[in-house]
Amino acid sequence: MANQLTLRVITPDRIVLDTQASSVRIPGVDGSIGILPRHAHMVAAIDVGPLRYVENGQEKALFVSEGFAEVKNNTLRVVCEAGELPEEIDEARAKESEKRARERLAGKKAAGEPVDLLRAELALRRALMRQQVTSGYGRQRVRS
Amino acid sequence: MASLRDLRSRIKSVGNIKQITRAMEMVATTKLRRFQDRAVASRPYAQEIAHLLGRLSAAMGDKLAGDPIFRPGPGKAVGLLVIGSDRGLCGAYNSQLFMALERWIAANPGVDLRCFVYGKRAYQYLQKRGLKIERYFAEPPLEKLDYRLAKFTAKTLTEAFTSGEYREVKILYTAFESMAKYVPSTVGFLPVQSDAAQASQGASDVILEPNVEALLGKLVPRYLETRIYNAMLEAITSEYASRRMAMKNATDAATDMQGMLKGIYNRKRQEGITKELLDIVGGAEAVRGK
Repeated sequence: MANQLTLRVITPDRIVLDTQASSVRIPGVDGSIGILPRHAHMVAAIDVGPLRYVENGQEKALFVSEGFAEVKNNTLRVVCEAGELPEEIDEARAKESEKRARERLAGKKAAGEPVDLLRAELALRRALMRQQVTSGYGRQRVRS
Repeated sequence: MASLRDLRSRIKSVGNIKQITRAMEMVATTKLRRFQDRAVASRPYAQEIAHLLGRLSAAMGDKLAGDPIFRPGPGKAVGLLVIGSDRGLCGAYNSQLFMALERWIAANPGVDLRCFVYGKRAYQYLQKRGLKIERYFAEPPLEKLDYRLAKFTAKTLTEAFTSGEYREVKILYTAFESMAKYVPSTVGFLPVQSDAAQASQGASDVILEPNVEALLGKLVPRYLETRIYNAMLEAITSEYASRRMAMKNATDAATDMQGMLKGIYNRKRQEGITKELLDIVGGAEAVRGK
């Protein structure tokens, strides 16, 4: 189809998404990167965050964790460790792990253990990003 | 020769064993299918990562050789990740793996071999054999493997390699080729062998975000993880294929034995009846004859 690009999200367990999108925004490590059809050949590292895309005029989102994205021949392949569609995310669990990470951060900051601090911070970010995908961005909004 | 009662109890016990082996065969079949599905599902990811590695290492060009992870280490030791099974009753699965190990040792005499082990059977063997065991991954078992386990293992091995004591790290596992063919094989793990040459076309006009070094730094660990994940999945798939085959053979053998025993039993029973009949007839004749 004209003015569409193929978006494919690949994880070790499965192919999460394989669809046609008219625009995609990926969470690059140095900030969000917008990709439109017929983008030049590119390889980018991506961060934990929401990946937003427009499919049939509707903006949708899914959660992706750290990984890579390659655009080539009008196909965007996102290769990441975890990818979850909004309906798959367990909001209660994400909230729970947010709480746990916050507690751990509060506790560990006093004790000062660097490795666990990093882990807790990463866990917190994942939890927040998951929630972001389910609320607001995740809802299917009709683009004006 | 065994009495009728002995035969009867033997037939029964063979039947019981057959029931068990058949149940185990069925369990192995379902597990085999599950792990095979996962192996298939993980393939696109592994392919993408390997493809990206080829592309990026091509973009790196000559700078690649400067990265220590792409070069043999300064040490003398060789690390070997041995992936065996936790349980027996899986045919020649483990012994074939150990034979491959022995062949490797014979081909590389005098090497300071340090083993990283999965599987209780493999651990016991290496210990008995007196080989240096650097680490035994007992928990969680291979049975419960997921990507996180592969990640952890890859990290452990990479840390060992970058410590400088090792020259290289290899993996010994059973490659799964088909339902009836699984071959123990030794493959290189570290240093990373990049097949940069074959992917070098058109690498120069790629936009790299943020830059090639950062990308490669993130990609290499992922690549190593997929290698481990794949080896683990193949090993456990082979284990179940082997176990299924062993259990199928056992069930078939039990069926044969049951048939044979039943034949003997029936013949003996018939003999007994004939003998009794002869006795009765003989007795009756004797009585009448008087």
